[in-house]
Amino acid sequence: MAIIEMLSWWYAHGWNVFIKKNRHTLSNIVDFFSMNSLIRTLFKPFRQISAETASADSSLDLKMHMFLDRLISRFIGFFSRLFLLIAGTFIIIIGAICSLALIILWPLVPFIPIAGIILTVTGVVL
Amino acid sequence: MSSTFNSHNPRVKKAHQKHTLNTPIIIVLNFIIFITLLGGGITLLFFKYPLGWTLIGFSVIPLMMVFWIKSDLSEIPVKPSDDFTDLLSESLLLLLNENTTPAELVKILAKTPGGMFIMVRFGLTIPVFEQLTNYLPASVEPIYNTAKAIREKTNSTEITGATLTVATIENLPSFEQLLNQFKLNISDLYQGIDWFNYLNGLAKDSKKPIHSGGIARDLAFGYTPTLQHFAINLSDRYTGASHKVQQAENAEIIQKMIHTFTHGGRQNVALVGAYGSGRSTIVKNFAETLMDADSKIPNNLKFRQLYSLDAPSLISAAKDQGELEYLMIRIMNEIYSAKNIILCLDNAHLFFEEGPGSIDITNLLVPILEAGNIRMILIMDDQRFLEISAKNPALANSLNKIVVNPSNQEETIKILMDQVPYFEHQKNVVYTYRALTEAYRLSEQYIHDIEMPGKAKLLLESAAAHSENGLVTAESVQTAVEKTYGVKVKVADSDQDREKLLNLEQLIHERMIDQEEAVSAMANALRRAAAGVKNQSRPIGTFLFLGPTGVGKTELAKTLSEVYFKGESNIIRLDMNEFVSASDVSRLIRDGASDALSLTAQVMKQPFSVVLLDEIEKAHPSVLTTLLQVLDEGILRDEKNREISFRDCIIIATSNAGANTIRDKITAGAKINDFKDEIVDNLITSGEFKPEFLNRFDEICLFKPLSKEDLIQVLDLIIASTNRTLEPQKITVTLSPEAKQILIEQGYDPKMGARPMRRIVQKTVENIVASAILSGSAEAGSTLTITPSEINIT
Repeated sequence: MAIIEMLSWWYAHGWNVFIKKNRHTLSNIVDFFSMNSLIRTLFKPFRQISAETASADSSLDLKMHMFLDRLISRFIGFFSRLFLLIAGTFIIIIGAICSLALIILWPLVPFIPIAGIILTVTGVVL
Repeated sequence: MSSTFNSHNPRVKKAHQKHTLNTPIIIVLNFIIFITLLGGGITLLFFKYPLGWTLIGFSVIPLMMVFWIKSDLSEIPVKPSDDFTDLLSESLLLLLNENTTPAELVKILAKTPGGMFIMVRFGLTIPVFEQLTNYLPASVEPIYNTAKAIREKTNSTEITGATLTVATIENLPSFEQLLNQFKLNISDLYQGIDWFNYLNGLAKDSKKPIHSGGIARDLAFGYTPTLQHFAINLSDRYTGASHKVQQAENAEIIQKMIHTFTHGGRQNVALVGAYGSGRSTIVKNFAETLMDADSKIPNNLKFRQLYSLDAPSLISAAKDQGELEYLMIRIMNEIYSAKNIILCLDNAHLFFEEGPGSIDITNLLVPILEAGNIRMILIMDDQRFLEISAKNPALANSLNKIVVNPSNQEETIKILMDQVPYFEHQKNVVYTYRALTEAYRLSEQYIHDIEMPGKAKLLLESAAAHSENGLVTAESVQTAVEKTYGVKVKVADSDQDREKLLNLEQLIHERMIDQEEAVSAMANALRRAAAGVKNQSRPIGTFLFLGPTGVGKTELAKTLSEVYFKGESNIIRLDMNEFVSASDVSRLIRDGASDALSLTAQVMKQPFSVVLLDEIEKAHPSVLTTLLQVLDEGILRDEKNREISFRDCIIIATSNAGANTIRDKITAGAKINDFKDEIVDNLITSGEFKPEFLNRFDEICLFKPLSKEDLIQVLDLIIASTNRTLEPQKITVTLSPEAKQILIEQGYDPKMGARPMRRIVQKTVENIVASAILSGSAEAGSTLTITPSEINIT
């Protein structure tokens, strides 16, 4: 009886629940990689390593030094964020594809035992 | 719609399925089957057996089962309908059936978490319910109807065991009377349902995923090594648990803080409020709001971290002012560079004044506060803020002041309900609802240095040490107050206490002769207090004793202290002839640290005592005016503006004013009650006391002069007292009737009362006894009978 209950749920609410769970998983991945923050702060200095700014009366030498420091910090920040963005995007895309595939395959899952029987009957071996 | 239980409802079936299938054993069993089938299938395929495909195919069934159990059977939500079964909580769906009787229902409720919650938290135990089953309606339908109505009233999503328990109580014919016995009313039980729902909600919330920014959250923000050394990161403690219980006002304050920090201008907030009013809780909630990725706040404030600067560690790390300023500048630079720090200065006054544990760096902080480049939160109390404003107006003007008010009763109880699970976890106890309400009531009455909700929390926490079998009840809270503050708050419940109170006059008369009116007035006041019927906003009793000297006015105060206030040491005696000038008012209210003998300091130390204001007529009018509030409201503010409570004191003022008139009237044969009004009128017309002062006393008692008959009893008491002194030497003194008569003749002085008699006894009896002991004629176990021949009065 439990099997019948389960199967009727599988094709009714189950599919919907599965879609929601996948959506939550994807949203958790997005949160883990802080995609929003990464895009918003893409060009910001890494860890504010050179946040100090030269005052108007500082020497040109110091101003250049600060500017270079800041530029390097921004470069480090940009590349580290870009790396995370790419990695995150890649994982999110993989996750999304897998989720989509699983969602599409969802109604076919209960037929896997039948497929197994058919493969046995046809005598397929590895 | 029907208010009957329908066992064919799909929710009932699902609840039973969940109960059977959603168990660790079934889940583990499914995984074992899955692994076995999959492993077996792969093995068979490895050995070229096509049957392996069938096993692999069937291995998905246990996986599907687990997914179904964990998704569809994890919770059984209520259906938005009016049907009783659709609204029931899971535990009730499992336990109820169509034939449940009210008596069975009571037993079922005791098995549900909600039912147990109400029974334990409100002290309505199972035996109490079982006794009441005979009075319940014949069928459960009215109870179910009431439960539906309660669900709507309390805005609950489902009918839980708690709802049904309260509904059962409400269906008793005289439930109000029953609740009165437990000092409860029906709205308390509704609060109990809210409390249960809240805790249930917290448990569900704890399972929700936390979104707190991810791995790249802090990449754009700088390092702060020095700050981390000298400050505590309040944002680190973010757990994701939502704080539903929040004073409406506090939520408003958090919104104001968000507004301040996201708009231009001075980027600081000064939270000004009394200690205990919840300033730190506001900061904590603010920190959590900033760390919650799902909160609706501007991006330029999201994930900003709150650090609370630890003033003592900073001060102890610096050798001198210069080094301290250097450290502060370094910290400020780090904060400025990091871009994601909000600095919190708890007890901010420590940074604006010189003293032990504090340092004045106003000159450093004011420019930073005015520039607004660093976000700061300053926490300080009203008084300190006023002091700082007076000392440094520029500093006060640079702050965005937000006032934090103490919580009211309803808010405090809700905050306590929120806190109780933490206390219970820490102290391994369970709090009843009445412990919470009692903590509010008694902390309001006895704790004056802290504000709500802090003082109620403090009391509730200390009550855990007085739990009975792990249950913290209203009595535990009362015991905590009695032990901590030395007052009596419990209604006399032991036989010994009751006996003492009922026979108080008799006990006092073991030391006092006559003066029935005063004795009975004081005994009645104490009985009212012990029975809990006294006005809580006034002292236990306020009395003015008028009469000649030596008639027992002071003695009565001492006796009362001895009999009821655990000894004569619990008497706070002020000789008012030491308060004859207006400047003496300050001596009444001086801080205990500078004058331990001031009235306020003594009452603060010993709130449950007799306050004796001897010879009140000699006090300066300003002193009497100061005392008006004490007599009226039982409150006096000391020089530090702390409210000192006199509400557990008996205040007795004595005066010889009108003594001559009293003596003359009594000698002329008049009764005290015949001329009492006349005496009071004379005191007012003669200007000795103002009417508003006399009017503040509960009773004005006239003491009559002692007669010769009274003096016989006084003599007996004095001899009894001498015998108590001689008790360790096992020597007893008695007087022959003739000797007694001589002493009375010699000791009687209508103007001086009993005092000459005491002197006479000292000169005669005590001298005779002393000689007998020294000469060896009085040995242990002997009785000395004093005869007229031995008495030699010079």
